[in-house]
Amino acid sequence: MNTNNNIYTVVYTAIIVVVVAGILAFVASKLGPAQQANAKAETLRQMMSAAGIKSTDEIYATRNADILQLYADNIQEAYTIGLDGEKNGELGITKDNIQLVDRFKPQDRAIKDGGNATLPVYVFKSGKIVIPVYGAGLWGPVWGYVAFEADRYTIAGVYFDHEGETPGLGAKIKDEPWFREKFAGKTVEWGDTPAFRLEKNAEASGAANAVDAITGATMTSKGLNEALNVWFAAYEKHMGNAAFFSMLENHAINAEED
Amino acid sequence: MTLKETFLQPLFKGNPITVLVLGICSSLAVTVTLKGALVMALSVTVVCGLSNLVLSLLRKGIPNRVRIIVQLVVVAMLVILVDQILKSIEVTFPIDKQLSVYIGLIITNCIVMGRIEAFALGSKPLPSLVDGLANGFGYGMILLIVAFFRELFGSGTLFGLQVMPAGYITNNLVILPPFALILIGCIIWVHRSVDKELQEK
Repeated sequence: MNTNNNIYTVVYTAIIVVVVAGILAFVASKLGPAQQANAKAETLRQMMSAAGIKSTDEIYATRNADILQLYADNIQEAYTIGLDGEKNGELGITKDNIQLVDRFKPQDRAIKDGGNATLPVYVFKSGKIVIPVYGAGLWGPVWGYVAFEADRYTIAGVYFDHEGETPGLGAKIKDEPWFREKFAGKTVEWGDTPAFRLEKNAEASGAANAVDAITGATMTSKGLNEALNVWFAAYEKHMGNAAFFSMLENHAINAEED
Repeated sequence: MTLKETFLQPLFKGNPITVLVLGICSSLAVTVTLKGALVMALSVTVVCGLSNLVLSLLRKGIPNRVRIIVQLVVVAMLVILVDQILKSIEVTFPIDKQLSVYIGLIITNCIVMGRIEAFALGSKPLPSLVDGLANGFGYGMILLIVAFFRELFGSGTLFGLQVMPAGYITNNLVILPPFALILIGCIIWVHRSVDKELQEK
């Protein structure tokens, strides 16, 4: 048979493409649930690592099924807020129905361009409140979770992740525990611009809302700094007021003690 | 060539990395840890073996003018399948995440297309499958050797377990890709001084 014939070529390629597309669609639909379960467990690990439910190493040594249980045991409530800071939805927290907002790109766009945002807030039984941040690193997106103490302005812990930052440089935001640990005990100055500073030599200023950027990872640090500030600004209306009152309360207590 | 020769050729005399110098980019990128290198090596072996097999079965019917496109479609399908499977298994999910784009980039790995063009389109299915798998092993072998040294001296660990004494300071030169090039250079040097036939006059 003449395999160089035009009609044969067109029909042949058409059949190959349809067959391949069929196989891929079938496999994607079969494996989809397992992949989503893995992705969900990963998100829960990062959140609980930030909230300090257990140490990061312990959390990463725990299997998926136990991670769901651990979350269900420790979560108080989870809900979403709009850009006005008002609650606009509830997220499921029982083990069989854990709902998360883990696609940040549309939310990030809503924050920047205005629109209908559903920004998640996770409140743990320990009183810690976890919110996500998302932005652009050097090679791809960077994101993470910031856990606040019940006062809503002291950072309790963080966890950052990235898609493809340079190993040994930008990837340190995820790989290096010392970088994460630096954030614990720092504060976010709601309403200030910037609310938080991840910059070169920022710690030297002695400010409570400053952490030094990573040497050799200028662009990743810059991207993470922007991610933190853009998302903090979006959460300001929700977190800021409560933080203001708890700050007043703390000062009042301190004043009484003096 | 017998099946045994077909299998041994890519491991030593015709090694895709040290002799043909193909697949260098990925061998620099994924050899920071042994886990990553192992998963990458297995993925390439599966893709290379199966794409050789499938295209050898199709070889008589493929229209010559769209030959490369048909090969690409088959290879891309296999790579996506491997990626999807890695993502759906609990143990390999974090490794797939760490390898990020490099699994997808197997599509552009010269070894895969090179073996299809050079071998599978002119050979029967069984030898093609053997050739594809053997090239994957030859590639994986070098990957694991490089990753062994990079993880040991870079991070002080092997397969994520601490082996260097506590307090070992991680070596950034070894962690960054250029060191893989130096290591591959050393492997090529050793290989050629052992096998004199490979030396150019």
